[in-house]
Amino acid sequence: MKNQIIQIIKENLVEIMPELEGEEISLDETFLDLGANSMDRGELIALTLEKLDLEVSRIEFVGAKTINELAEAVAKFHN
Amino acid sequence: MKAGIEAINIYSGSASLDVKDLAKARNLDNNRFENLMMKEKSVPMPFEDPVSNGINAAKPIIDSLTEEEKNSIDMVITCTESGIDFGKSISTYIHHYLGLNRNCRLFELKNACYSGTAGFQMAVNFVFSQAAPGRKVLVICTDIARMSMAEGASMDLSFFEPSNGSGAVAILVSDNPIVFEVDRGANGYYGYEVMDTCRPIPDQEAGNADLSLLSYLDCSENSFKEYQKRVEGADYQETFQYLAFHTPFGGMVKGAHRTNMRKFKKAKPDQIVMDFEKRVMPSLNYCQRVGNIMGATSQLALMSTIANGDFSTPKRIGVFSYGSGCSSEFYSGVATKESQEKIKQFKVQEHLNERYKLTMKEYEDTFLINNELRFGTKNYKVDFSKNSNVFNTIKGKNRIVFSEIKEFHRIYEWV
Repeated sequence: MKNQIIQIIKENLVEIMPELEGEEISLDETFLDLGANSMDRGELIALTLEKLDLEVSRIEFVGAKTINELAEAVAKFHN
Repeated sequence: MKAGIEAINIYSGSASLDVKDLAKARNLDNNRFENLMMKEKSVPMPFEDPVSNGINAAKPIIDSLTEEEKNSIDMVITCTESGIDFGKSISTYIHHYLGLNRNCRLFELKNACYSGTAGFQMAVNFVFSQAAPGRKVLVICTDIARMSMAEGASMDLSFFEPSNGSGAVAILVSDNPIVFEVDRGANGYYGYEVMDTCRPIPDQEAGNADLSLLSYLDCSENSFKEYQKRVEGADYQETFQYLAFHTPFGGMVKGAHRTNMRKFKKAKPDQIVMDFEKRVMPSLNYCQRVGNIMGATSQLALMSTIANGDFSTPKRIGVFSYGSGCSSEFYSGVATKESQEKIKQFKVQEHLNERYKLTMKEYEDTFLINNELRFGTKNYKVDFSKNSNVFNTIKGKNRIVFSEIKEFHRIYEWV
């Protein structure tokens, strides 16, 4: 399941930051280093929860700094 | 029984900065910077503070009243996170310099950027309660963020600095709501404890910008859901011809609108963009030129909507207010052609155009003086010669300025 979530996060990230299209995106690089600002990061969390149809408060995911960390945090709420 | 806004006006100081100049000086990425949707921001001068801004916003409203109407003001509520004293409220100064009747309640409210809505809703409910029929309430939402080079500020400055503003919105609330008639009982609230942004020490913002943004998104969704529970048949798109959000910067509003349109209406990206242009953009006009004035911002967005929207027929406006910490509310009301005419009498666009345009050097020079003007300053005299270029733009225009602190007591002068 985590791999599926990772895939969704990656797709969302490219949707928010089209400049990453075709780039090799490391799962452990911070969103900040990937060039995502606060607004991009917020949008990424919101969009990921929507795609997975998860009704969880977005603030639960504020500590996730990388794709891997976000995927792990999301997986906890996803059955 | 009607209640709402009889008159509203803003004052956002005498100086502004083009935020493109700031982005250039701070090496902010231009494409990403455009997403902030900011154009200018008001910069507080040493002779301006939350009191002088509040008085200047309210003065034209008070001058437009008859003596009898002026004497029917039963409360002056100041709404701010930029208080100048832990005990004494700013409302006492404002009441004094406006020459209002002494049989009046004077107090101050706080909850970050939600304060203006808290004050406004208290005033509206005072009118609805009919505890004192025919009486009015003056609500002054006033906030300021003085930039300085002090150590310890922990905000992400790439967002904070281009968007923080200075200014006040004055609102006269009564049973004659020519400007904005509120929908009675149409309020959805949502609040909880969260440490997103705050002012734990005087004169400085601290916090986590990511957390604040996520909390804002949670609240804009959940306050509307509560509104829907209380207002039968309410629809995010069909019920409101315009939306006015608390606007830390335009990009954040765009993000919240996009998220809500997907959530509530399953809207596609192109529909969302069109809807944003039509229903939200009028609210951003003033916000893009003033910056975030915290407790006053959702009222600034509301005023901007009424001034810049099409009100040839009456329109319903949905208002969303968010204050860190946090407390939020979605409420609504109706404005008409007459509302727009009434708002235009105070010539806000001219006021914004008349602000002195600071260079980066002049802007950064204010930081040094800001360091001297910290919370708790006992004695201070404003040196008007230091910013005479800016001061001269308001001289002779019946504005009030902050001139001195004498044993903690602030003194103001009409110029």
